[in-house]
Amino acid sequence: MVVLMDELNNTQGKTLPVQSDTELVLVIEHLTKKFGNFTAVDNISLHVKRGEIYGFLGPNGAGKTTTIKMIAGLLQPDKGQISINNRSLAGEPRKCKQDTGYIPDRPYLFEKLTGFEFLEFIASLYNLAPETFSRNTEHYLKLFDLENWKHHLIESYSHGMRQKLIISSILMLEPPLIVVDEPMVGLDPKSARIVKELFKNHASRGTSIFLSTHSLEIASELCDRIGIILNGSLRASGNLKDLQREARLEHSDLEEIFLELTGAYELQDIIAALRAE
Amino acid sequence: MQPFLFSAKNRFFPKHQIPFRALGVLFFSLAVCLVLYLIAVKVITYFHSQNELGIILSLKIFQMAWITMFAMLVFSCMVSSVSTLFLSQDNEIIFAAPVAKSEIFFMRYITTSIYTSWMMIVFSLPIFAAYGTVFEAGILYWPLMLGTIISTAGIATTFGMGLTVVLVNLFPAKRTKDIILYLSICFGIFIYLIFRLMRPEDLVNPDKYGHFIDYLSSLATPAAPYIPAAWAANLLSYYLLDREIDLLVAALLIITPITLFFLGEWAMERWFLAGFTKSQESFGGYRKFFSRGRYRRSSMQWTFLKESKLFLRDSAEWSQLFMIAALVIVYLYNFKVLPVERSLFEEEYVTNLISFLNIGLTGFVVASLAARFVYPSIGAEGGSFYIIMSSPLSTARYILHKYLFYVIPFTLLALILLVVSNRLLNIEGPMWWISVITGLIITWTVLAMALGFGAIYADFKAENRAAALGGIGAILFLFTAISFEMAIIFLGGSPVFRVMRGWLRHGVLPADDLLTLIVWILVSIGISLFLALFFIRRGIRKLEASST
Repeated sequence: MVVLMDELNNTQGKTLPVQSDTELVLVIEHLTKKFGNFTAVDNISLHVKRGEIYGFLGPNGAGKTTTIKMIAGLLQPDKGQISINNRSLAGEPRKCKQDTGYIPDRPYLFEKLTGFEFLEFIASLYNLAPETFSRNTEHYLKLFDLENWKHHLIESYSHGMRQKLIISSILMLEPPLIVVDEPMVGLDPKSARIVKELFKNHASRGTSIFLSTHSLEIASELCDRIGIILNGSLRASGNLKDLQREARLEHSDLEEIFLELTGAYELQDIIAALRAE
Repeated sequence: MQPFLFSAKNRFFPKHQIPFRALGVLFFSLAVCLVLYLIAVKVITYFHSQNELGIILSLKIFQMAWITMFAMLVFSCMVSSVSTLFLSQDNEIIFAAPVAKSEIFFMRYITTSIYTSWMMIVFSLPIFAAYGTVFEAGILYWPLMLGTIISTAGIATTFGMGLTVVLVNLFPAKRTKDIILYLSICFGIFIYLIFRLMRPEDLVNPDKYGHFIDYLSSLATPAAPYIPAAWAANLLSYYLLDREIDLLVAALLIITPITLFFLGEWAMERWFLAGFTKSQESFGGYRKFFSRGRYRRSSMQWTFLKESKLFLRDSAEWSQLFMIAALVIVYLYNFKVLPVERSLFEEEYVTNLISFLNIGLTGFVVASLAARFVYPSIGAEGGSFYIIMSSPLSTARYILHKYLFYVIPFTLLALILLVVSNRLLNIEGPMWWISVITGLIITWTVLAMALGFGAIYADFKAENRAAALGGIGAILFLFTAISFEMAIIFLGGSPVFRVMRGWLRHGVLPADDLLTLIVWILVSIGISLFLALFFIRRGIRKLEASST
């Protein structure tokens, strides 16, 4: 682990100066998305500051992935707007996308490319400088144990390897904003640990990270602030203290707050009934 | 069997809805069958009316049809049984359940048989039925024919499946699938070339009898006795000629599929688990490639590289190049053997007319190939399309890169078809230029339309590119592209005729005729630009508006 930490600390690349709290990288205002009569995202407003890790927490089907897809420019919102680095995503999509790295929850990749070719393709889409490319790919492939696999076709990769390749492809771009949907799905404990450390490391150097998860452990360990989404609406947003105040549970952990805020306290009754059987 | 039956039911008979889809498929199949039947009756009647030689020849073709059908069934059954037995997505659920291997074999046998043989049976029925009509075979021929078809299909599928179970033990499943795919494509090309280059229709042309005397002597010999399809052909031929049933052959046709089925079941018990284990160990992509040189920043260069790598590393895709090569050879060969010298009009007029119509024919080939390769190319990005859409590469630029990638090979293909056929027809002067310029305008527009329709109807969940061909978008694209080509050719008829008349009679291009020709070309360019931009823009809007 010592070696690993050295590796992580040696992460090269430009360090973004940490600026004042008022500098906002991602601003979402009154975001709404409907699918037919179903409102998937309902009037959500939030912001993420430079160098901040914002956790987007919610039960299955709450609207996390829909929100993330809108931030990544994959879905058009019905109402509201998204700004990235003070630019409107609707008005200047190319510039906003240049500043955003999106890591999806399901690693669909081009099966017939090798891992290295995939990285080259992604780098070309984002017009990455050749020297940054060679420096970063070497670093991340080594870090994720993909060095020996880089010239093999992606179709032979396991789920976890694909996930690691996608994460490498985004981290190598050094974007000011990283948007991640369920970052640890399919990762082994070592890789999950590396990813967490990498996120912290990048955030400390000024990268903003917006991540959705339903893992309370990841949210409480990684995130500076957390937003809890339920049925498409932002139920609460803030750091652990803010959420405790909101839930009126001053000395409770995130799990209890989450259950309280998402109205899942009936779960306690179910658990009690199951135990009584 | 339940998953297969339920999904088929849901697909064709959706709840609380009139099954338009099922009815559509039914009517379409019936219409195709009827057309096939009428064509077959006409051809066989022609053979039949010649003399005894014609009858022998028609029965020889009957045998060839049976053997071709049988071989195609064996190949297609082997390809799909590699998938159904070893690579199916539901395998893990089914094989983990306490179900006997013989039951699995039976289940996969029924579904594979239906998948692979329904089309062959539906399309061979009208042809074999036409023989019954022309030979006036009587009522008993029909059940006999139906039984023989089902039995032969049964033999082909059981044989194919049994062989697959054994083969997968020797090679990994994906490799086996590739091998069978190459073999079946080679077989398809072989049959296609034989039929086109031998020109069987010439055999009943009295002028040509002398050249085929050796061939004719072989006509009387019976087909290979060890091929089940030949049993079926012999049984029916015998009945068609003498109204008698060869009981030995009939017994063989009944017993063989049953025996093969039990042999297949036994092979399944004996070898299946080993093969299935192997198919999971061999994950297909364990091949090492080396990166070419240094990374460069150009997204266009990398889109080109990505497209070509995805194409060349997918055997189902690149193997189609053989088919295209065969198509080009046969296409050009037809120009070589065109009997223009026997025409009633002056040869020069006829060759120029053919060259003009060849523009449309080339356009048709380009449109068909664009439907197969270009139209599905956006949907083929599949789940990975999010990578493109979330990147700073604009959708318009992405489509432009795709267009430029496909425009090079398609331009080459169109030029080969146009220039070589013009050479074979001895076309020179203005017609040469008209055909090349118009041909290229049509090719470039059709490509843009294919991409536009491909974007509008992109199916990111299609299993492969070939699967997209059956969709409504592909049909609409083909319909629009062919209408466009016909409109261009139709509009050009009069100006080209006037220019060519002047050129062929006096060797000059009259100024006013030349002007109308130029106006036609400019109007064609205008229509082409409008259509290309219209469909591309609609495609871009659709891609940007839709979720991925």
